[in-house]
Amino acid sequence: MRRLAPSALLCLYILGIAIPLAWMILTSFKTGPEIFSRPWGLPASMHWANYANAWRGAGLGPAFINSIIVTAGTLALLLPAGAMAAYVLARYVFPGRGLIFGTFLSGMMFPHFLVIVPLFFLMRSLGLLNTMPGLILVYVGYSLSFTVFVLHGFFLALPEELAEAAMLDGCGHAGTFWRVMLPLARPGLVVAAIFNAIGLWNEYGLALVLLTRPETRTLPLAIADLSMTQHYQSDWGALFAGLVISAVPVMAVYAIFRDRIIETMLAGAVKG
Amino acid sequence: MRAGRRERTAFIVAFLSPAVGLFGLFVLLPLVQALGVSLTRWRGVSSQRTFVGAANYERLMQDQAFWGALGHNLWLLLVVGVAVLSLALPVAHALRQRGHLGAVARTLALFPQVISTVVVAILWMFLLNPSFGLVDSLIRAVGLTPPRQGWLGEPSLALPSVAGALLWSMLGFYVLLFAAGIRGLSEDVMEAAELDGATGWRRFTRVTWPMLWAVRRTAVVYLGINLLNTFAVVYLMTQGGPDRRSEVMLTYLYQQAFVHSQFGYATAVAVMSLIAALGLSLTLMVLFREPGTPVLPRRRA
Repeated sequence: MRRLAPSALLCLYILGIAIPLAWMILTSFKTGPEIFSRPWGLPASMHWANYANAWRGAGLGPAFINSIIVTAGTLALLLPAGAMAAYVLARYVFPGRGLIFGTFLSGMMFPHFLVIVPLFFLMRSLGLLNTMPGLILVYVGYSLSFTVFVLHGFFLALPEELAEAAMLDGCGHAGTFWRVMLPLARPGLVVAAIFNAIGLWNEYGLALVLLTRPETRTLPLAIADLSMTQHYQSDWGALFAGLVISAVPVMAVYAIFRDRIIETMLAGAVKG
Repeated sequence: MRAGRRERTAFIVAFLSPAVGLFGLFVLLPLVQALGVSLTRWRGVSSQRTFVGAANYERLMQDQAFWGALGHNLWLLLVVGVAVLSLALPVAHALRQRGHLGAVARTLALFPQVISTVVVAILWMFLLNPSFGLVDSLIRAVGLTPPRQGWLGEPSLALPSVAGALLWSMLGFYVLLFAAGIRGLSEDVMEAAELDGATGWRRFTRVTWPMLWAVRRTAVVYLGINLLNTFAVVYLMTQGGPDRRSEVMLTYLYQQAFVHSQFGYATAVAVMSLIAALGLSLTLMVLFREPGTPVLPRRRA
């Protein structure tokens, strides 16, 4: 009995997560009438047309590409900028170091949506509203806190002798960083990249305010718009296909890097 | 030697400036500007921005809709918080056992969290759908009648429905957090407790629960921040309705700013939310302090 109770609890927990997700995937393969007539049933045949309708008809294809551009573009700026700052903050002593590091860290605590009004007008005055480069720059700004925090830990853990040896070899400060220290911190860069990629791929609030033109929409915006318009057109199958298109890439990345992701999340929770 | 020092300084400045510049421009500058904007009446056209002092804050004090929204945030914190704490700990405890079930649970745990809140909100809208959602057909299967206007259309059920979706998406993180906390308790302590005759429920209340205070505090502070930040799930599932019965602070802020163009007032809402978040974090830190310690830590000599 005592052994059984935990197993029963775990089974319930697993079903509670898995049933809604499985229903989402199954529904994405059903025809319109099937969705209504057999909510618990399996689809009679795989109705792939839902995916074609979502990708082309509902415009999720271009939004998917936009999301890839925004996510990749943000990482391309964020990782070098974050790594450079984290390296200097971890391994050099200079006046103001604690203040700068503390300011970056405090950015992890406050809700970004609270500055949305001033940010909106700042972007408008810079001419960056409704542009993907604009959104990328904002995403870099708001992702730096976490990125600097994670990479700081990795640079702190690298042995001092390696940097000293590189300096003696005449690498210089920058050469030591690019040629010796940065390659050694690669596991940290991977963790920071995965973590940020998941958050950026899913981001909704900032994009909702900063992108209003249909052709710049990211995937979460396009899916949210689709759920609003589907109330009138009711092609639910295409909407569920859209949910799957958004969710499956992150679930796959998470399943592959599960242990590293959990470790980093908990480290952030325990130290932050 | 002096050239070396100058080179070092130039290196530090050059390496810090991209990050500091981007963070300063897009994070710190808007944060500072928010204080100024909240003291103006502003419809979004720069020439019509007038300084009104504390008028927005005075209006906020009288604004039933704002206090209602803040109340809903606190209700979510209480209900989702209690649900998370009472579910995460037993599941985390069950996760201690090795085997297939544990591995499956660990993989699935964060799925609801790593998918977009947009997907969570829309998925739950349809799970609760009156004509083909799973929830209603489950309720009918056990012989009960689901709400006539649908979960999200019934004023008293809209906020609890949102709470359900939030719980589903957030629970996994806290399960893993407590699982790590339990693993962190040293085996010696657990064995000593067992030798003293403390097993099962008794060991849990006397040993495990008190020793997990630090993890519990982290969990409630995280919950507080996350639930004050709730936006997408409410905005997509209910738009704060029906009749503002599920409005939260950030949906109210969004509506004031980007629907009614009351930018000064919306920013006052933002500043108040920030103050509420800080106050709440401090309160939770004190409430969930180490068992048996005073509210203010004594200074060490």
